[in-house]
Amino acid sequence: MTRLQFSPFSRLRAAMAAIIVAIVAFAASEPALASTPAEQFVSQNVQRGLTILNNHSIPEAQRRAEFRDFLTGLTDIRRIALFTLGAARRTASPAEIDAFVNSFRDYAVAVYESRLNQYSGQFLRVSGSSEVSPGDTVVQTLLVDPSGRSNGQEPIEVDFRVVQDNGHFVVIDVSIAGVWLGQEEREQFSSFLQQNNNNVEALTQHLQQLALQVRAGGGQPQQQR
Amino acid sequence: MRTSWAALTIALGLVLAGCASTSTTNSQLQTDPDDPLEGWNRQVFDMNQRFDEAIMKPTAEAYIAVVPEPARKGVHNFLTNLNSPVVFANDLLQGEVGLAGETVGRFGLNTTIGLGGLVDVATPAGIPGHSSDFGQTLGVWGVGEDPYLVLPLLGPSNPRDLAGYVADQAMSPLNYVGIRDYTYWSIGAGAVNIVDERAQNMDTLNQLEQTSLDPYASMRSLYRQYRRSHIRHGKSSVKDLPSM
Repeated sequence: MTRLQFSPFSRLRAAMAAIIVAIVAFAASEPALASTPAEQFVSQNVQRGLTILNNHSIPEAQRRAEFRDFLTGLTDIRRIALFTLGAARRTASPAEIDAFVNSFRDYAVAVYESRLNQYSGQFLRVSGSSEVSPGDTVVQTLLVDPSGRSNGQEPIEVDFRVVQDNGHFVVIDVSIAGVWLGQEEREQFSSFLQQNNNNVEALTQHLQQLALQVRAGGGQPQQQR
Repeated sequence: MRTSWAALTIALGLVLAGCASTSTTNSQLQTDPDDPLEGWNRQVFDMNQRFDEAIMKPTAEAYIAVVPEPARKGVHNFLTNLNSPVVFANDLLQGEVGLAGETVGRFGLNTTIGLGGLVDVATPAGIPGHSSDFGQTLGVWGVGEDPYLVLPLLGPSNPRDLAGYVADQAMSPLNYVGIRDYTYWSIGAGAVNIVDERAQNMDTLNQLEQTSLDPYASMRSLYRQYRRSHIRHGKSSVKDLPSM
């Protein structure tokens, strides 16, 4: 805590204002310095993402659709969704879980798309990697903002947790300035479920409603209590 | 008047804390084992949100609308530069001699060539800024973070960071120049500081509000994770990552 309730996040400003910056900037990673396979995975998506981001010759809707495909192909959404569901995944029915995963995917895409226009040339520089366990690696990068909007602060650390799934790397979590987004969502969902008798269906409906409101540019729906 | 701004915020906080008792949030609620005061915290969080919506956000929006970006940047640079002694002291207390040297270098460059701190010439010169506070220092020394607290006006915190906030106020030179003639300056600087901080975080807070399922739980997670990272000086730690 420093001054106000938002003060601790002064360094998060550039990145937390746009989770998409991390994902988008991921697409704009600098290929240099990558040495491990996981680092190379991060770096090898450079041209693909950049091509989408910088392709202003196609309609905006098409560009968004291409980026959505890029994003969903890059991440293991189902795995992330199940993680964010926490202990409730053990008691939910398969149908409830499938509905939740679909709703989570729609919500995540809506959030990222709402931030797509905030990309303004930031890129990531791969700085190293650490192994969590065999096949599970955190690739460390630094967010470089050439616009100078960082207000004199050091570059923000953006880490990607990547795992090998059937021989292919996928992203399962992103950390911005030390904040893991998957963990943050898991804590939100856990709080919601505890206030709603662990009703996964209610969570799914709430996410659907939130996705609609994010797309409409509005705020959060009224939470059930 | 050494701590005019701190006294004002505490007084306002106490008044508004009283208002919080009218909230409909369940005071017995606890969804996180490390947040035993969640019921109270949510009430204060709601009150802070209402205060922000009614006063802070409109003020910051007006500030953004009226003051051109270069001027806002100058104000931000100036205020950041003023806080350098606090950052320097905490750098030293954390044993970060290199960072302390950077803080001195930034302060010297920005105060002289940077026109009293209005222009950040240190960053282009290869000395980017960093933040250090006494809550972080206590964390580096091994002091724990629980329980989570939400304070009136001041927002997310914990006993360690609250103690750190008080210590930082005591260390701030701003609170030592407020001898009678400087009282208005001290209050004014504090007010501008807060408006600047709110304006700087406008997009962040708007998006948190728009995309969070439970803004309270979201802020709690963001605060804890960020502070832990800050105490590690941003270095990644993979040993505590959960299985996914």
